[in-house]
Amino acid sequence: MFQLSEEGKQKVLAELKRYESRRSAVLPALYIGQKENKGHINSEVIKELSRVMDIPESQINEVFTFYTMYNKQKIGKYHVQVCRTLSCMLNGAEELTNHLCKELNVKLNEVTTDGRFTVSEAECLGSCGTAPMMQIADKYYENLTPESAMNILRGMK
Amino acid sequence: MAVAETKYLTEFYHLPEFKGLEGYKKNGGYKELVKALKMQPQAIIDEVKASGLRGRGGAGFSTGMKWSFLPKNNEPRFLLCNADEGEPGTFKDRMMMEKAPHQLIEGMIISAFAINSKKSYIYVRGEYDDSINALTQAIQEAYKAGYLGKNILGSGFDHDMDVYRGAGAYICGEETGMISSLEGLKGQPKLKPPFPAIQGYLKKPTIVNNVETLAVVKYVIRDGAAHYKTFGTEKSAGTKLFSLSGNVVKPGNYEVPLAFPMKDMIYGLGGGFKAGRKLKAVIPGGSSAPVLTAEESERATLDYENLAQMGTMLGSGAIIVIDDSNCMVQCLANLTHFYHHESCGQCTPCREGTGWLDKIVHSILSGRGRPQDIELLIKVADNMKGKTICALSDAAALPVLSFVTKFRDEFEYFVREGKSKVKGTAFAPKGDAHVGH
Amino acid sequence: MSDTNIKCTINGTELEVKKGMTIIQAMTENAQRIAHYCWHPGLSIAGVCRLCMVEIEGNPRVQIACNTVITEGMRINNTSEKVKDAVKWGLDFHLINHPLDCPICDQAGECGLQDQYMEYGKYTPEMAEKKQKKHKVVDLGPTVVLDSERCILCSRCVRFTDEVSKTNELGIFNRGDHAEIGTHDGKQLDNKYSLNTVDICPVGALTSKDFRFKQRVWYLKDSDTVCNGCSTGCNVKVYFNKEGLFRVKPNVNEKINGYWMCDEGRDIYKFVNREHRQLKGQKYGAGSWHEEVHAGVAAKDAGQFLQTAKADEIGLVLTGQHTNEEYEALLNTFVNTFKTKNIYHWWPQEPKAGEFDGLLLRGDKNPNTAGLKEALSKHGITAKWADLESGLKSGKIKQLVVIAPENIFAYNDMEQKAAFFAQAEHLILATSVKFPGLEKASLKIATIIPLKSYIEKDGTFVNFKGDVQKFKKATTVVNEALTGVELAQLLAGQNLQIEVVPTPELFKAASNTRKDQVTLDHRKKNEFVFNRGRL
Repeated sequence: MFQLSEEGKQKVLAELKRYESRRSAVLPALYIGQKENKGHINSEVIKELSRVMDIPESQINEVFTFYTMYNKQKIGKYHVQVCRTLSCMLNGAEELTNHLCKELNVKLNEVTTDGRFTVSEAECLGSCGTAPMMQIADKYYENLTPESAMNILRGMK
Repeated sequence: MAVAETKYLTEFYHLPEFKGLEGYKKNGGYKELVKALKMQPQAIIDEVKASGLRGRGGAGFSTGMKWSFLPKNNEPRFLLCNADEGEPGTFKDRMMMEKAPHQLIEGMIISAFAINSKKSYIYVRGEYDDSINALTQAIQEAYKAGYLGKNILGSGFDHDMDVYRGAGAYICGEETGMISSLEGLKGQPKLKPPFPAIQGYLKKPTIVNNVETLAVVKYVIRDGAAHYKTFGTEKSAGTKLFSLSGNVVKPGNYEVPLAFPMKDMIYGLGGGFKAGRKLKAVIPGGSSAPVLTAEESERATLDYENLAQMGTMLGSGAIIVIDDSNCMVQCLANLTHFYHHESCGQCTPCREGTGWLDKIVHSILSGRGRPQDIELLIKVADNMKGKTICALSDAAALPVLSFVTKFRDEFEYFVREGKSKVKGTAFAPKGDAHVGH
Repeated sequence: MSDTNIKCTINGTELEVKKGMTIIQAMTENAQRIAHYCWHPGLSIAGVCRLCMVEIEGNPRVQIACNTVITEGMRINNTSEKVKDAVKWGLDFHLINHPLDCPICDQAGECGLQDQYMEYGKYTPEMAEKKQKKHKVVDLGPTVVLDSERCILCSRCVRFTDEVSKTNELGIFNRGDHAEIGTHDGKQLDNKYSLNTVDICPVGALTSKDFRFKQRVWYLKDSDTVCNGCSTGCNVKVYFNKEGLFRVKPNVNEKINGYWMCDEGRDIYKFVNREHRQLKGQKYGAGSWHEEVHAGVAAKDAGQFLQTAKADEIGLVLTGQHTNEEYEALLNTFVNTFKTKNIYHWWPQEPKAGEFDGLLLRGDKNPNTAGLKEALSKHGITAKWADLESGLKSGKIKQLVVIAPENIFAYNDMEQKAAFFAQAEHLILATSVKFPGLEKASLKIATIIPLKSYIEKDGTFVNFKGDVQKFKKATTVVNEALTGVELAQLLAGQNLQIEVVPTPELFKAASNTRKDQVTLDHRKKNEFVFNRGRL
């Protein structure tokens, strides 16, 4: 049974008061829930948020399933998102992704056996001038080569 | 004559201290806010209108005119800064927010004063963590220094500003999609009419402007409309930040006056191509802009009229340069996948059409294209235009139409031979590349 | 030109419409056809199907009609080639991922996609790619089944649960063409108005569990009537053919029920079908049931007991389930002819009669309590139920006539009452349904007389507010049942000709069938083809 920590609950309640409409707090609340649930959201998280916020579950679920940054399945400790859109593709994004999957011995969107990494493709991350690039846990890693990217991953325990 | 940038907005971006309040103030920060607060709000609107400033996010609508659509009463209204930079190829707003958050904030406070708005939000896409942190900190600094909050600098004008984090949806860059998202809903665009200036965020009058547009307002106040018009042309006044990317040697954000020659951007500022490669195609205004051939690109100028006349658009100013080592079918497949993934799904032509286009192009890409697929692509794309709630449907259709029309030989070759004319192979389907979608 | 009306021209016809009206409202109210799915007059505007395209003079692009307010002098048409092409493509986009389920889909025959395809489609489909796969046969709740692949995401059902039932069970999840209607996390679509979503779903995505696979809709005729489920008196349509009645749907009545009806009312066809009905008159005496008799004969014979009995020995039990005309006739017979005032109001729902759920459902599960009360007061009846109890117990009341309720779902005390009424020396039970508990009750002498149900007669109901609603006969279910009026006359000793409808003529539509109804009379021979595969 998922339950928000006291700190998380206070954060959610603060968000409810922050905007002109209570419902605006749904997007921030989902982030808070995701963080406390090891990086992904399931129906238990939604139930808990609905209880704390007093907003119908289906409304929270609609928002959850609409936006890409809320993860619907378990991900590794580090979610490696490689941008796949045109400018990055023109600069070798596909080769980069294939290289990472091969080196980590993992398929796209699945978790490595040691639980450390999930590699997936993201749409344009707004870093087209420093392509190819990847985003891991809110940080951008730019101007990559297959080798430099792997070095970064090797350094992540 | 060496081709160079015109560092108007970006004059002090090279100084790391420009990010913080002290460094910003040392370099002219918040002087224009002081000046603006002493002006009449209507005078500011008139000045912005006279400057010819057009929305820098992609639509290119006259900013002053948009502001004048607001009701002339005391009804509370909102100013929303659209920092959901999602148009593929665009990364200028990110640089502005990371390097000069106060510049945006000052521009916003001046704009809010002009339109009599007491509350503004900066809606930042969820992936831009550094921008969100920079803005959050800058807003705190601004409050402490009295540039935000009650009775700003003793003017009697109150204004509150907050940052709202998006969660990964290109459609939230559409102004009503953004409003829906800010209201805590799915980021689905709303029917227009009513237009946001009449009924927007929470049904109140709302103005949505791009990051760059709002930052420019400060400079219009500083130097006046007439000075702004010395850059660019009559209909395309001012400078613009262009995000150059793709196969050029020196990709990056470059600020140049409008009507800057595309050739100079690619070969001059962009440094041209790697040895042995040459220009093949350019997408001039973000992936939703129709593609230009090499010949067309080399005679194009970067302003609204010229590009519109050539059948494309200036858009967000994201210039994606494609060299001759690339297969146009593969490039188009990359874009159709993008639009298929990003369609919000609300209205039928876009929801079904983006999927259909994506499937057809990927069939061709995997060597299973049929001869009638090329005409079909054109028919489907044509009938997705102009029939939907927002412009994503058009944005998905235009690349398809322009790629297939201008590079038809590559598509026909692929269908006939089952492999790429440029790369010599077909590309096996990869399955859905996105987690959980 | 008045302050509130403006002139416009639609498809060449000049019209005067109220200010603020949208094009689609004006068109539907003026019998002009326009293709649409997501718009519904009882719900907010969505503008998502993009099918209601019209051409407006002066506007280069086609516009949607549901969100465009009419301005003075607007010239609108939806018959030009441009519009037809736009609608054709809108329809095409709806169909590219739609499964070819027509052979197994309940909606066939009343499907929005089929209808618009016949009008704007008839093209060679060009979609050659794999269709999107979604969830099929999803159990949404006690009443509704969802098939997501058929869903065209018009959002009518979601808007309904948000705006009308206000229960928020449904949502649209996921983005783009992965979008699906659904409930979250195993929750059920479980509110008292859930079946309205099936009505408003233009396609077969939401289907009624009760109706699923039972009947092809083109074999059904429909007739207008008034629901007899509670005192609101929603206007409804019943659908039937020779196999019986199959379903009930709401009719629009702005004053009484708007566009909706409740789920309880959907069951009001069940107790009308033959399997629940008292088909023939019956007599019980000396410990056993005798041969069945014709209804009229049973009534006439029963009448002779009453005509010779003392006024004080006669009792009449009424419920709020019958029409004003029947009350008038019965009270006339009992008060004026038999001179008795022992008339009792059987009303088990009385304690809950004031309940109202805020939308349509009321606690008084009778359609005409108001009519009955007025009739009783007009004839000066003041007897209480307690008087009947003492009258039966003491044996004072010897001839008890009970006009039984027909809604067996709303009267949960019928078995008890069977035993209660059986106390009378002679129980004359006029009933449309097979009265539960008769076998167990210790009857002395009993006469059972079959009555017509509410859809087999013309009549008048008065609802809780006092609205008087007249309805017409829809069809005949039981060959020889009597109306309350005929019963009253026969009991009083009058001679009557009772119409007995021969079995092949049962379920034929009555005079209130609309002219555009397909009656399939010429296909009589094949009307049973669907009947479990036997030719």
